[in-house]
Amino acid sequence: MPRLKIEQLYKIKGEVLRSLVLDTEKNRARITVHMGTCGISSGADKVLETLQDELASSGREDISITTSGCAGICNREPLITIERVGEEPVKYADVDEQKARQIFREHVLDGNVNPDWVFARGWEQKDVDFEGPPSGATEGTSHIRDIPFFGMQDPVVMKNRGLIQAEKIEEYISRDGYFAAAKALYQMDPDEIIAEIKKSGIRGRGGAGFPTGMKWGFAASSRGETKYVLCNADEGDPGAFMDRCVLESDPHAVLEGMIIAAKAIGSHQGYIYCRAEYPLAVRMLNLAIDQARNYGLLGKDILGSGFDFDLEVYRGAGAFVCGEETALMTSIEGKRGTPRPRPPFPAIQGLWKKPTILNNVETLANVAQIILKGGKWYGSMGTRRSKGTKVFALTGDVRNVGLVEVPMGMPIGTIIYDIGGGIPNGKRFKAVQLGGPSGGCIPVQHLNTPVDYESITRLGAIVGSGGMIVMDEDKCVVDVARFFMEFCRDESCGKCTPCRVGTQKMLEILTNICEGKGKEGDIETLEKWADIIKNTALCGLGQTVPNPVLSTLRYFRDEYEAHIRDGRCPAVVCSAFFKSPCMHACPINMDIPSYMALIRAGRLNDAYKVLLKTNPFPAICGRVCDHKCETKCRRATLDAPLDIKHLKRFITDNGSRPPVTPVPITRKEKIAVIGAGPSGLTAAKDLALRGYGVTVFDRFPEPGGMLRWAIPAYRLPRNILDNEINDILSLGVELRCNTRVVLQSEGTSAAEGSDISWDRLKKDFDAIYLAIGAQQSMPMDIEGYDLDGVSGAIEFLRELNLGKTPYVGKKVAVIGGGNSAIDASRSALRLGAREVTILYRRRREDMPAQDEEIHAAEEEGVKIRYLIAPLRAKGVKGRLKKVICRHMSLGDFDASGRRKSVPKLGDEFAFDADQLILAIGQKTDDAIHMEAAGVTTTKRGFIEIVEGTKSQTASPMVFAGGDVVSGPDTVVGAIAAGHHAAIEIDEAIREKNGESAEVPVEEEIEIPVTIEEEIQETPRVCLCESDCAERIKDFREVELGFSQEEALKEANRCLRCDVEAETG
Amino acid sequence: MLQKSGLDTKQTEEQEFTAEELASVDAIIEHYKNKPGSLIPVLEEIQEAIGYLPKSVQRRVALGLSIPFSEVYGVVTFYSFFTMTPKGKHTIRCCLGTACYVRGGKRILEKLTQTLKVAPGETTSDRRFSLETVRCLGACGLAPVVMVDENTYRQMKPSKVSEILEAYE
Repeated sequence: MPRLKIEQLYKIKGEVLRSLVLDTEKNRARITVHMGTCGISSGADKVLETLQDELASSGREDISITTSGCAGICNREPLITIERVGEEPVKYADVDEQKARQIFREHVLDGNVNPDWVFARGWEQKDVDFEGPPSGATEGTSHIRDIPFFGMQDPVVMKNRGLIQAEKIEEYISRDGYFAAAKALYQMDPDEIIAEIKKSGIRGRGGAGFPTGMKWGFAASSRGETKYVLCNADEGDPGAFMDRCVLESDPHAVLEGMIIAAKAIGSHQGYIYCRAEYPLAVRMLNLAIDQARNYGLLGKDILGSGFDFDLEVYRGAGAFVCGEETALMTSIEGKRGTPRPRPPFPAIQGLWKKPTILNNVETLANVAQIILKGGKWYGSMGTRRSKGTKVFALTGDVRNVGLVEVPMGMPIGTIIYDIGGGIPNGKRFKAVQLGGPSGGCIPVQHLNTPVDYESITRLGAIVGSGGMIVMDEDKCVVDVARFFMEFCRDESCGKCTPCRVGTQKMLEILTNICEGKGKEGDIETLEKWADIIKNTALCGLGQTVPNPVLSTLRYFRDEYEAHIRDGRCPAVVCSAFFKSPCMHACPINMDIPSYMALIRAGRLNDAYKVLLKTNPFPAICGRVCDHKCETKCRRATLDAPLDIKHLKRFITDNGSRPPVTPVPITRKEKIAVIGAGPSGLTAAKDLALRGYGVTVFDRFPEPGGMLRWAIPAYRLPRNILDNEINDILSLGVELRCNTRVVLQSEGTSAAEGSDISWDRLKKDFDAIYLAIGAQQSMPMDIEGYDLDGVSGAIEFLRELNLGKTPYVGKKVAVIGGGNSAIDASRSALRLGAREVTILYRRRREDMPAQDEEIHAAEEEGVKIRYLIAPLRAKGVKGRLKKVICRHMSLGDFDASGRRKSVPKLGDEFAFDADQLILAIGQKTDDAIHMEAAGVTTTKRGFIEIVEGTKSQTASPMVFAGGDVVSGPDTVVGAIAAGHHAAIEIDEAIREKNGESAEVPVEEEIEIPVTIEEEIQETPRVCLCESDCAERIKDFREVELGFSQEEALKEANRCLRCDVEAETG
Repeated sequence: MLQKSGLDTKQTEEQEFTAEELASVDAIIEHYKNKPGSLIPVLEEIQEAIGYLPKSVQRRVALGLSIPFSEVYGVVTFYSFFTMTPKGKHTIRCCLGTACYVRGGKRILEKLTQTLKVAPGETTSDRRFSLETVRCLGACGLAPVVMVDENTYRQMKPSKVSEILEAYE
């Protein structure tokens, strides 16, 4: 091959561009198979073979097949692009051999696009895109730039993504390759080159963010004939693969950058240190260097300019620390890769003690474009101090996984949700890890933070090399911190004591915490050592080793504390804390695997007993629980989680309720429980079983609290409710309904069903448990709130459940997105409303109501409209006639990780309604006199609990729990509060008397163990429901429960994770 | 000092390797002899040729490149790619990089150690498989990832482990 001069660069560019143009004679169609490492491991090589096969059989010579590197969206690989003359290019995703054959025959040969398999039209890069109109067949498909994942990116480093073959230097030249090198060699002197780089403001993309121009300036002014240009291609951060994409798909960009760098500092020899774990990258680099040398673009007298520069690839050998600047140089020198102290800095004394610059792959890949288009152009992107674009490797629990290049300064929530598509499988976002083992976690409350060097550092993380790992609610941050510490401990070179010993010691503590052996003081120790290691370690690896720990402690200290103090892993990951994840996720630790096994064995009565050990209301929970257990069921990783809730119901429907015998009162202390809801009744049961005399007071005519007054009968039949409450009362618990607790001065009468004063309570009882719930609707501060026809959801439901006939309009509007909104809507339908519409201020995925409930409501005909908020209610003669509403749009993220809804200006409309039900939140009873009780309340009116306890209030011997403390929560949450309160009340009384603690003895039930040898994917059994049209005529139960056969089939899917733990 | 270890009555290279293999080792040493800092490429190529780097071979390299045996040993034990014991016929690399870890890489590793009855870093007694963990193969989009020889398996599940291993004799 001839040694090129500049004119020949133009010639080659022209030739390649011309060859790309499709015509109706010799070049009718072209297929590009995208083949980066991910593509190949997804089968792209087989797809290529298949297409080549098909082409050969077809005998066509006017169709060509070519390849390119990575296409950018990892989880849709393999991808291919089809171009036909006169038609817009079309991309197919998830292509296998079979699809490839069909696509060739139908689309390439006959022009029939397969709409089901098509991914997008067009090319990502505007400058190469097809200029004609979309063809009829693909009109319905999005253009690739309309897909946020691609459209919101700014491909600068990625400008050649999907377009060129790395193995053909000519294709690189056709994309203006080596023109920048020519300009730098012929038209610029070293000072001008460095000035341009400084003007661009580019900072080292490897992680440290040091201004590149400044680094080159130091090396340029160092004295010496021999200087080195090094490229750090050791991309060792787990979770980062940006550099790999450039090296495999566009290696010449790196070579060209190094040539320009060499001219800038006066170097004639360079090395690319590439990690051995990237065999394809090494191969492509060596091929690229060969081709460049053959063309005279490397070696002596490049392009005839008189400048010499040559390159060699140096392979790493598997040591993360060799990504550190001085360790890398030491490794090239043939030694153990240990870092050196600085000063002297590499720009003065680096490789072989000569002035050296080391730049990251991504940094170098930007250089050529900066020279061609100018530093000003580059500096126009990004923020004031973080200029340009950055490539991020977005992975983890996110829908769209791949390489994302965006201008610096884009908010991190935009990257994760708009580009990344958000969190899949209905899970919640927990944190995003930036910067690998040197970095930190950003939690949900900082989603609006722009991604630039300074802003991220302020949050305790680093931008780092670009790894961005999204973590959902199922990840334990303590475990993640431990994971990174283990990595650093393994990779520590061992030279300096702080890192060598520090990583080992910190790892020991973190491991202990994850294994349930954490001690009080461990967190403080970790913080102390973190400080020491940060300030004394020799190199960047050691200095940043404590970052993941410090970052997770900053935002998730409560998770560490839960591990150490409560014996809980809130994310249900650290298996030392639980037998099976479902049990640990349950607020009351129900022994799910045991009752699954008992269903399989046909022992339903024993199963019922297992339920009652922890849950006094299993039949109720089997109908209304929010089943957190199912969100952690391991079966979900195989097919779908077990329907634990309905299996629990199956037991209570088909097993016999164990008979209840009254428990003799053996203790002299008397306990008062205020509120006969699930929390109060649970505490009453537990205390009665311990021999206490318990009296439960409730202001309403019947017990049950929200179970009776808020949950409609079609979800929870009244006889089920009554049975379970009676079982508790039959233990000997006294119940006084229609009784309110009042201030002395409000007067009392001695008759039954009258009120009782606080003073009386405190005198007659040794302990009081306040469990009055949050049974009032939050009001809405809008004009017209007091019109007839406007009410709160809780009050509406209570009237219905009290047996009265609440007002129901013909056109009902419900405001809110939680379970109460759904309950009110479905009840209004049954009471005769013709149209019921829920108006919700955010989107469906933001609604807190259970999915099953939303779905059932829609089936029944409830309409739901999103992004709408009410402004005021308008009426005639005091009666509601319409609700004036406004459309909302989504703004910044709020602290819950959801986008705030912000009003769209000027967009009001009237919604006709003769009833408006407000379900926007709940508060506790206004009339209850907190000061008289001696308790303190939060700003929102809920009772404050003494820290370190679960139910103790500011007033001695007054305890509280359930919704009155937590705000509106679940039934099982209330039950858990009741259990904790009973324990604390018992302990407090015993302590007062100087007695030791005693736990009531439980019946032992033997649980059978059968393990499946072979597990096959089986779908979840669907639950039967009453017919839709029929069921809305009354309040009959909607869900019908499992049959014997269905229950057995579903219970058989249980993996018995608890047994695995024992034999593993 | 060097002499003492030189006289170790361990297995000498003549007993472990064929004449051909030793010739290739010597050729590699010769090629890089005069290039400073070439120890790592030398060791890489030798390991590619004969499979592992026992002390006997390390001593040969030390003599050939005129550097202390301790330095060679130090480099071999520092870099994770070098091994002093023979590997199995097939190398399984289970990725435990962050993305793979977050997507369940640990459970895949557990299943592998359970099935093969070896710990990471070890080789099965029938020398069929060597099990290793790697930190990040750079295929994070396909997490969790396992490589067997040159083949990459994406989006692994513990239930797929046995099926995949059976394909390798």
